[in-house]
Amino acid sequence: MLDRSVIRLVWFFSVGPVWLAPATLTSAQSPADQHVKVELISEQDAIVPHSKIWVGIRFDLQDEWHTYWVNPGDSGEPPRIEWELPLGFQAGAIQWPYPVRLSTPPFVDFGYEHQVLLIAAVQPSQALREGVSQRIEARVHYLVCRDVCIPGQKQLELTLPVKSRAVAGSDVQLFEATRRRLPQPAPESWKISAASLGDDFVLNLIIGGSAGAPQFFPSEEEQIENAAPQTATTIPGGFRLHLKKSKHLLKPLSRLRGVLVVGSGKAYRVDVPVLPSSRNVHAQS
Amino acid sequence: MKQNLWWGLLVALLLTCSISAFAQQKVGDQAPEFQATDSNGQTHKLSEYRGKFVVLEWHNNGCPYTRKHYESGNMQRLQKEWTARGVIWFTVISSAPGQQGFVTAQQENDYLKQMNGAPTAALLDPQGDVGRLYSAKTTPHMFVINPTGVLIYDGAIDSKATTDQADIATATNYVSQALEEAMAGKPVTTPTSRPYGCSVKYAH
Repeated sequence: MLDRSVIRLVWFFSVGPVWLAPATLTSAQSPADQHVKVELISEQDAIVPHSKIWVGIRFDLQDEWHTYWVNPGDSGEPPRIEWELPLGFQAGAIQWPYPVRLSTPPFVDFGYEHQVLLIAAVQPSQALREGVSQRIEARVHYLVCRDVCIPGQKQLELTLPVKSRAVAGSDVQLFEATRRRLPQPAPESWKISAASLGDDFVLNLIIGGSAGAPQFFPSEEEQIENAAPQTATTIPGGFRLHLKKSKHLLKPLSRLRGVLVVGSGKAYRVDVPVLPSSRNVHAQS
Repeated sequence: MKQNLWWGLLVALLLTCSISAFAQQKVGDQAPEFQATDSNGQTHKLSEYRGKFVVLEWHNNGCPYTRKHYESGNMQRLQKEWTARGVIWFTVISSAPGQQGFVTAQQENDYLKQMNGAPTAALLDPQGDVGRLYSAKTTPHMFVINPTGVLIYDGAIDSKATTDQADIATATNYVSQALEEAMAGKPVTTPTSRPYGCSVKYAH
């Protein structure tokens, strides 16, 4: 009798833990991890009281995999970030670098390949004093796709000391490069207007010259046919982009908002009223 | 003269290409007539169902957005509820052979049994003909056609474009909304929305 009990006990302690182990091993991993690495990074090495600090979510994607812009286009989903900050801290809006067109005919999505950093400014609490380190957390939901799509979720954290002075961190150049890819207000000298013209919207850009291979990325879904080619025609002082209307657009559009990217890799914010068709517009085409 | 002939042929070719490309029917237009074979070998034509509401549900069983609605039981609930109320519900699979979501008739029947799916039928569209006819972009992408053959809804299944099952309960289901409103003789509040999901895996 004693022998059997001992045998059972020994069996339980040797086999039991093996059942438990696999669950804890896989809890931190997800299928998306094979194709993207997601990290929370900061521009500088410390938080300085009363100064904002730029942080970012960095996505490093395997070749051929991509993730999405704020307007993902025909399919896909943009990353969502939920900040968990110390008391009194506030995070600003995510700044989206301009995307690229991701074409899987007959569709076009808008997003990022290889690497993207989504940055936000964090304003520390007014009461913050030097001394106690602060932890910034972010829960990130994202979708990475190639020919198939894999959703992922990560809980990220970053602990930073609080000091009277901070120095640039090791990722500062990535932050600077990212800022160069953020859409800027259009130059004062530019005249931008939009009009409805049959099945298209036309975006007129009087910029005092030409712009190599302009591309327009709409901020909002269901306004433009994402996959339609955007033909550019020359007009006095600039060019006109023809943007095919989405067949999901059932009412006239009052404003056209988006990002214009010109050949040199500069991006500009566009936010203009859409004028109804007029004879002037027809005469020019 | 010969040059004109070549130009003529080129224009004709371009026209043909654009016609066989994605259709541009809008909500409010007659829904395009289609013919397709289901997973039991039966053929169906849209016109056979004149006099009934018809729902088209684009499907890919590997896509995380489709899985959201199937693993939660949401899609099956909708299929049961609406077919019980006389709606014809077609699941449509336009994935090309070798692409995610492609299924043989047997595989689709096994899947429906396993998932307790309750569509009227599962239409197998590996050539993508029905998909292209409707410009189906994502899985899921939902269309609702009224008894006179008019397209009354084209878009997402609901208002929360995520892969998270927890979002289903608090989302507005646009398909149910369109069917309820149309059945009550009311205008459809949300006739279009951006369909969300994975791209339909047409042949390249």
